[in-house]
Amino acid sequence: MSSVTSRNPDANNVFAIAGVVIKEMYRRKDFYVLFALIVVITLILGSVSFFNDDRIVRYVKDGCLLLIWLCSLVIAITTAARQIPAERESRTIYPLLAKPVGRGEFVAGKFLGCWLACGVSLLAFYFFFGLIAASREHTLPFLAYFQAIWLHWMCLSIVVALVILGSVVFTAPSSNATISFIVVLGIMFAGGHLNGIAIQMRGFSGGLVYGIYYALPHLEWYDVRELIIHNWGSIDWLAWGGASIYAILYSGMLLACAWMVFRRRTFVL
Amino acid sequence: MTMATALEPQFQKWHSRTSSSAGVLAALMGDSRRLFAHQFFVMADSYFHSGFYPSIFDSKKPGEELDLKEESHQKQEGTKQHEEETSFLGAPKDLFDRFGRNFYPTTHTHLHGGNEREMLPWLKLSAELDPHEIDPYLAASYWLRTSLNNPGEAERFLREGLDANPDSFEILLELGRINFYNRKNSRVARNIFELALKKWHHREAAGGKPDPIVCAEILGEIVRTDREQGNLKQQLADMEELLKVAPGKGSLQSQIDELKAKLAESQTNH
Repeated sequence: MSSVTSRNPDANNVFAIAGVVIKEMYRRKDFYVLFALIVVITLILGSVSFFNDDRIVRYVKDGCLLLIWLCSLVIAITTAARQIPAERESRTIYPLLAKPVGRGEFVAGKFLGCWLACGVSLLAFYFFFGLIAASREHTLPFLAYFQAIWLHWMCLSIVVALVILGSVVFTAPSSNATISFIVVLGIMFAGGHLNGIAIQMRGFSGGLVYGIYYALPHLEWYDVRELIIHNWGSIDWLAWGGASIYAILYSGMLLACAWMVFRRRTFVL
Repeated sequence: MTMATALEPQFQKWHSRTSSSAGVLAALMGDSRRLFAHQFFVMADSYFHSGFYPSIFDSKKPGEELDLKEESHQKQEGTKQHEEETSFLGAPKDLFDRFGRNFYPTTHTHLHGGNEREMLPWLKLSAELDPHEIDPYLAASYWLRTSLNNPGEAERFLREGLDANPDSFEILLELGRINFYNRKNSRVARNIFELALKKWHHREAAGGKPDPIVCAEILGEIVRTDREQGNLKQQLADMEELLKVAPGKGSLQSQIDELKAKLAESQTNH
C-alpha cells in the first residue's frame, strides 16, 4: 500500500493542488460573467444587418475572437495572480507547506490548476465561436480551429507562469495583475516589432533593444486570429510544434524562476 | 406668449444642430469620430487584403493610396508598382521573424468571388462616423454594383452620401454608373453625368482644384452614353471635350478621326 502511494507522491500533490484551483474557478462567477459577456456582445454584433446581406461573417468572427482573447487573459491573469497571495492571507499556506508538499510542487500545482482552468474556459469560448462561425459560413475548418485553440492555450501557459512569478515577487495581487496585463498586452502589440526598431537604432541602444526582443516571450506568435478570420487554412505543423515547444520551455523557465524566489521566501505566522 | 417669442429662436437653433445625419455617434464622440472613421476605412482595406496589412510599425511610402480607394476609382497601376507598395514586410530580419511569419498572413491577395461583402460593415461604419468623407460611399457602391450585384443597396447608400455631400461629383459619377451599367438606363445616366460635370466645373471655378482625372472619367462615361444612344454628333462633341483633359490622347484622337469620317460619310449618303 505504501509503495503504491509513494510511487508518485510529487505528481499526486501537484494534481491535488491543481484540482483545487479548477474547482475554485467554476465556483467563482468570473468565468460565467465573461462567457455571458462574449455571448451577448457577439450576438448583438451578429444581429446587425449591413446592406441586407446576411452572409457577412468576418466582422463577427473578429469581434468574437477579440473578446475571447481579452476574456481569456483576464481569467488567466486574475486567477494566477490571486493563488499564492490568497493562500498566504487565509493562512492555508502554512499547513499546506507543513505537509510533505514541496515548494516546487506547490508552484507547479498552482500553475497546472490555472492553466487547466484556462483550457476549460477556452474550450467553452471556442465552442461558442465555432457555433457562430459555422452558422454563417456553413463550414467548420476543424484543423485550423484546433491549431488556434492549442496555440492560444500555449500562450496562456506563458502568461500564467509569468503571473505566478509576479505573485512571488510583488506583494499585492492587484499590482501583479495590472503589471502583468500591461506587459502581456505590450508584448502582443509591439514585441514582434522590436527588431525593426532596434535596426533603426545605433550602437549599444540598438543592441540592447535587440537583446530585449530575443529575451521577451513572443506571445504574438500564438495570436493567429487573422488566419482564422480570413480563412487562410491550417498552419504548418512544424511551426505549430515549434511554437508549442517554445511555450513549454519558456513557461518552464519562468516557473523555475518562481520556484527559486519562492523557496527563499519565509512565512511568519 | 413672451416666453414663446424669446425661446423660439433658441429652439430652432438647437433643432437644426441635432437634426444632422451623424446622430448619436456624433453627439457622443465629437470630432474624434473622424479619426475612427479613417481607421474603419483602413480596416476595410485590411479586410480587402484578408489581413495582410502593414501595422503602425511598418513603413509606408508617403502619397501611397489605399488599394481599396484605387480599386473603386478604377485606377490601374502597373504590377511592379503594386508589388513595391506591398513589400512592406521585406526579407525576414532574423530567425524569430522568419519563424513568426508562419502565424499571420504574408501573401498579398484581394477579396474576390463575392467575399468583398466582408468589407461592407467597416465601410458603413466609416461613413456613419464621418458622412463628409466620400471614399467609403464610393468603395462600397463600387463593390455592391459590380462583384456583389446589388445595385439597389449601392444606390441607396450613395443617396445617403449625396444627402451629406450634395456637391460631390464623385458620388454623382458613381450614381450615374449604376444607372448606366446596372439599370441600362442611358438617358437617366447621362443626366446624372451632366450634373456631375457641372459640379466639377463649379468646384474648379471656385478654386477648389478638383481632380482632372475624375473630369476625364465623367466625360468618358458621357461618351459611352452617347454611343449607347446612337447620338454621333453629340458623341463627337463630347469626345473633343474629353481630348482636352484625357491623360492618354493617342487612341482617343484616332477614335475621333474615325467618328468624323463616319459622320461625313453619313452626311454624304443623305
